[in-house]
Amino acid sequence: MMPPPAPVGGPTQRVRQIRGPQSALTDFLASHNISANQIRQDANARRAAALAVEDGASEEEVATPPTAPEPARRKNESKAQEKKRKLEEEKAIAKIKASKRFQRQRREYNSDDTDEDEHARAIFEESMAPIPGQMENCEICGKRFTVTGYSRAGPDGGLLCPKCSKDLDKEEGAAKKKRKVAHTNKRRQIQSNLLDGIYPGAKDLVTLCVETLAKNVDMADDFGDLPAPLVDRLAAILAKKRLMNPETLNLFLRPGADTVTIYEGAKLQPDDYIRIFQIVPTVKNLRIRNGVQFKNKVMDHLLGTTVNLESFSIHGANLIDDERWNSYLSEKGQNLRALKVYYTDGHFGDEQIELLPIACPNLERLKLEHNQKVTDTGLSHIAKLSTLQHLGLEIYKDTSSKPYVEILEAVGPNLKTLSLSTVHYIDDSVLKAIHENCQSILKLRITDNEVLTDAGFAALFTNWYNPSMNYVDLHKCRHIDAAVPRDNPDGIGFGSLGFEALMAHSGSTLRHLNVHSCRHISLESFERVFAKDKLYPELKNMDLSFCQQVNDFVVGSIFRSCPALKTLKVFGNFGVKEVRVPRGKILIGMPNALGMQIEGGQEAEE
Amino acid sequence: MATPSQSKYVTLVSNDGFEFVVLREAACVSGVIKRSLDPKSGFAESAAGRVTFDEINGIVLEKVAEYFNYNHKNRNREDVPDMEIPPELCLELLMAADFLDT
Repeated sequence: MMPPPAPVGGPTQRVRQIRGPQSALTDFLASHNISANQIRQDANARRAAALAVEDGASEEEVATPPTAPEPARRKNESKAQEKKRKLEEEKAIAKIKASKRFQRQRREYNSDDTDEDEHARAIFEESMAPIPGQMENCEICGKRFTVTGYSRAGPDGGLLCPKCSKDLDKEEGAAKKKRKVAHTNKRRQIQSNLLDGIYPGAKDLVTLCVETLAKNVDMADDFGDLPAPLVDRLAAILAKKRLMNPETLNLFLRPGADTVTIYEGAKLQPDDYIRIFQIVPTVKNLRIRNGVQFKNKVMDHLLGTTVNLESFSIHGANLIDDERWNSYLSEKGQNLRALKVYYTDGHFGDEQIELLPIACPNLERLKLEHNQKVTDTGLSHIAKLSTLQHLGLEIYKDTSSKPYVEILEAVGPNLKTLSLSTVHYIDDSVLKAIHENCQSILKLRITDNEVLTDAGFAALFTNWYNPSMNYVDLHKCRHIDAAVPRDNPDGIGFGSLGFEALMAHSGSTLRHLNVHSCRHISLESFERVFAKDKLYPELKNMDLSFCQQVNDFVVGSIFRSCPALKTLKVFGNFGVKEVRVPRGKILIGMPNALGMQIEGGQEAEE
Repeated sequence: MATPSQSKYVTLVSNDGFEFVVLREAACVSGVIKRSLDPKSGFAESAAGRVTFDEINGIVLEKVAEYFNYNHKNRNREDVPDMEIPPELCLELLMAADFLDT
């Protein structure tokens, strides 16, 4: 059965035989000490052996008793070949052992005699690993494949075919890749936290718990008697992650509560909204955002219940038609103290506002935002709401100054909040009306205007009877001219004069200031306002984005003048380059990739 | 600041009798503990350096103590890995954290 033993020692065989012309390949191989004849013989022997194994696999197994744990015999190898290979291996290993490199390694690692053999064998096997371009059998599936530079080693040191490497990559790679992604995400997460006002570093325990709870909200059955502010924080986080659905809603419907807040109701159906009134009939303050499905059907149900809301804030409910609004206001309006209606598209117009003074005698707070229906006519009816204290308007149709002046003259003295957003074309007469009528305003917002003048703002804040305010937002009150963007000959917009007058009037109590895009506030003005001797003890949030004059010096002065400052935004201010931020303060919008650099922070720790 | 008589450590006691000794400085991130240990307040706790919580059990208080150390260890670092909180403890721990003002 066994093929004739191959003669040991190739060279002798070659010398013995004289042959005719040889191919170039054979010549080449011969010059590298490889005999084509030998290869052929080896292949034949392998084939014969394979045949023999197939014929009498069981016989052979019985015949050859399990030998000592000798390194597994290579597949398809005859005894003689094995013997020859062993001999060669031994020679090679002896050579390795004798080599200077090996001796040096031994000395360096200072290992003992016992594993000298192993060590030498390891080096030998390393050198014997198939080099790229050769064929090899895959360690896992046994298929033959071409070794490339990319072939990877299997679990026992052999090489793997591309398919098996891919499978192994998939198993191990998942973990490897994830780790890498998590690392890059971390920096992004820090920036995201900064935007949310969360200072980098260890979070407080409440935040950690709320976040964990939000992650595992599906495991919670009931919040127990968690305090209301915490429930509110949870609701906000769940909304941010878009996890408020019919199931999680149940956690927030606590019988007997007087407040229900849904920060994100896009996944709720009309029946879910109806459930609010069924489970919490005591609700007095209802706040729903993205409540698209809060539609006629829900309104009809609400009208049929005994629920009397005192505060109703609804965002995105553009499926409630004007008829329902009319019946809601006339039937349930007497109790309403606050009504906030956002994003109603084509509904809630002039007629509904006209109804307000008659139907809602107790209304103190009115907010109409992103409204596309109300016009000047509707606005003038607001003047008749004699109990009004807080007014917020964001009307998308163009409005003029006249109705605003009317409102201010009628209800101005009681107003605590005045918020006029996207008032593109109102003029200084509104500022004059505010100056003359208002005497209790704490929060003032006038945005997106290109008519109001700097002098008008300065006049408003100079010798004003109103006490100093704590929230001022005048963003985008600025001159626009694409042709000559820098010049502002008529002093349009909230500029240096207005800014200095405002800070002189309200600086002592101001907490929140937004002058985003007020481009014509000069550097000198910033330097005067945040000079060494000025102190703004309450100021917490400030937005100075796109005020081009703001630079490192101004930002540094701000940190000095505003000890309570938490967040400062400086988007688009290229003068801010390398200011160091004191510990505990957040600077957002640095025009570089690094973001804010926190100072050593001794001051803060003292 | 700390008078010489004050120990660097304080003892927190749970309602089921477990005691946790933590660094005073670390425990003072909690507004409640800080106030009760403040010598100016004159509470018995401030003299003994020992605070007993009748509404917090040992398991939760252990987590709280762990948090104090975690927070103290990471007080001057910027990118801090969040502390692991077992979900089943979350609600009770949240109540405790809210009470402790941490």
